[in-house]
Amino acid sequence: MKTALPEDITEFAAVAAKRFVRFGGPQTALRAETEEHLRHDAWSALADLGAFDLDVRSSPDDLLAAAVLCQAAGAAALPYPLVEELLAIDGARLALVNPAAPRIDHGDLPGDWIAADLDGTRYHVQPSSRTSAKLGPFLVPATLTEPEGIVPAADVDMHLTLGSWRILGVVQQALEITRQHVTARMQFGKPLAEFQAVRFTIADASVAVRGLYELAKYTISRTESTAAQVHSADALILRLKAVDTAHQVLRTAHQLLGALGFCDESDVSVLDRHTQPLIRLPVSSEILALRLIPGVRGGQLETLFSQPVAAEPV
Amino acid sequence: MDYDLGADAAELRKRLRDLISAQIPEGFLGACTDDPRDLATTESFCKLLASDGLLALAWPKEHGGGGGSIWQQTVLREEMWAHHEPRGAQYMGINWVGPALMRYGTVEQKARHLSAISAGEVIWCQGFSEPEAGTDLASLRTRAVPNGDGWRVTGQKVWTSYAQMASWCVLAACTDPNAPKPKRLSLFLVPMDRPGITVRPIRSMLGPHHLNEVFLDDVEVFADEVLGEVGDGWRVMREALAFERVGIARYARCESLLDRMQNELGDDWDQLPESIRARWVRALIDLRVARLLAYRAVSLQDDPSAGAAASAARIATTTCDQQVAELLFDVLGPTALDSGASARLHGAVEDHWRYAQAATVASGTIEVQRMLVAREALGDHR
Repeated sequence: MKTALPEDITEFAAVAAKRFVRFGGPQTALRAETEEHLRHDAWSALADLGAFDLDVRSSPDDLLAAAVLCQAAGAAALPYPLVEELLAIDGARLALVNPAAPRIDHGDLPGDWIAADLDGTRYHVQPSSRTSAKLGPFLVPATLTEPEGIVPAADVDMHLTLGSWRILGVVQQALEITRQHVTARMQFGKPLAEFQAVRFTIADASVAVRGLYELAKYTISRTESTAAQVHSADALILRLKAVDTAHQVLRTAHQLLGALGFCDESDVSVLDRHTQPLIRLPVSSEILALRLIPGVRGGQLETLFSQPVAAEPV
Repeated sequence: MDYDLGADAAELRKRLRDLISAQIPEGFLGACTDDPRDLATTESFCKLLASDGLLALAWPKEHGGGGGSIWQQTVLREEMWAHHEPRGAQYMGINWVGPALMRYGTVEQKARHLSAISAGEVIWCQGFSEPEAGTDLASLRTRAVPNGDGWRVTGQKVWTSYAQMASWCVLAACTDPNAPKPKRLSLFLVPMDRPGITVRPIRSMLGPHHLNEVFLDDVEVFADEVLGEVGDGWRVMREALAFERVGIARYARCESLLDRMQNELGDDWDQLPESIRARWVRALIDLRVARLLAYRAVSLQDDPSAGAAASAARIATTTCDQQVAELLFDVLGPTALDSGASARLHGAVEDHWRYAQAATVASGTIEVQRMLVAREALGDHR
């Protein structure tokens, strides 16, 4: 068993993080709410890193590289629909939507879009324009056509998985910002980090983030080796855990940063506001849990004791 | 990355399940029950494991061990705990007393104790906690006063698991009250039948044998019974307990219980309230995460970050224990409190709930684990 990322992937992640720092991180993402060209600059940063040469569908190594790229993009709140473009079909970005209320993050960017729901039903999509919302400032309402076939389940799974890696980057960065704050901020004559309540809160958030990281690595390492139904359950499991972890860690960050965390000059505010679409859409973690219920008896939620699930034709 | 435990570990898992299925009676809930036959079951099972080189799987072969890989050890930990620890009280000797002896014991101590432990012939208890020193072990008050070449020990220990059945004790006592705190303690290897030792069982919700008081009244200990150096007990204790760093594979019993309950319910599972079934899903996810955190801690081995990783794994798995206990009680509803062989799953759910209450207390409280995780994240707390 090897639970660490391969060295070349770790190096690629470091290069990506450095490039996104050069792009400007969350504060540039904040400016991108009003300065249109910055989203193109984000695309350029991704192109510099070779993001759009990655063949995530057929190369496990490229998929792993894409995962850490998404993680780095999450940490930087990179204002670009990276997952959607990595999974583009015939040049059209692929958005995961809830047909009951279709919304697409960055849906106003030039270029074609197609949409799919969690069942893989495919729709042609007509995005409208942004609404200057505080939560999800790049989120665009959209209109769907009647269903037009399906997208492969593997695409939906990869969408959920790579989106979860992006959330992982967000929560790791939010925890790091919080760590820096509580070690620097003095109250009652000592750093916040010396109060036991603060230390325990950081410990709990740290355990949650560590757990999500291990789950993310495990999930992406199994894409080749499991039955399709198990792989789909794995993707839902990861996304559910990512969303729950985001709730916990972002709440922790806000609480420990105090009023500062609500201000856009704090990266926590930008990370939180910009990540809300990924946390809430296409469905809540409650709905994800309900979707996983049949997998308990079906054996798709693998445990040490579940019987192997036979592969079905895709 | 590769999350395959390996063919040898998979083969071991099958072998252990076959052994347990053949040797352990249905409805077995561990050695510490009111039925003395359960204790006898563990004694014979340990000897069987020992004869196959499985009892001390992790030990080097020269000491009677099986020389197993870290992943075989992981599988052994998972399968034993999942099946209600059919090694009974042996795991303490196997998991840390033996390894501590290998590192700090004299040639004579090794010769005397190691083969007996690896053969499953002896039970050890751990005389650490005291009424005034639980988590803060360095403050313990039991005194060892010099007496010729040895000492005479007086004091009281508490919560001492298996003290009634143990034949040996690793006893921590203060040998120099005026020394700096880390240098006050020494460890002694003391036979439990030595004059002056009295054991009093403590009734508890955990069942018999789990909790005892041990009174030490002018107990004679000898120079050749010191483990490590005199005054070095605190360091030996901390390093020895690190052998158990990852701790019990509680996630494995939780996964097993959920699996058994699902089979027990059959189609009735689908009739459970949706809220319960959603909690079931979340429990399985949290258990997967706890398992992966444990694997991470195991894979780090001697890396400096391994301690915090193990604490994170312990926090995750101990909280899962209580989460699953509450879930299964809610699944059973009005029959949740039924116990004994006539209860569903032979009372395993009621047994688990009781034992899960200790999960965040035993072998290092969850507060201590949080301190260790926070220390890595934030630095030392002054």
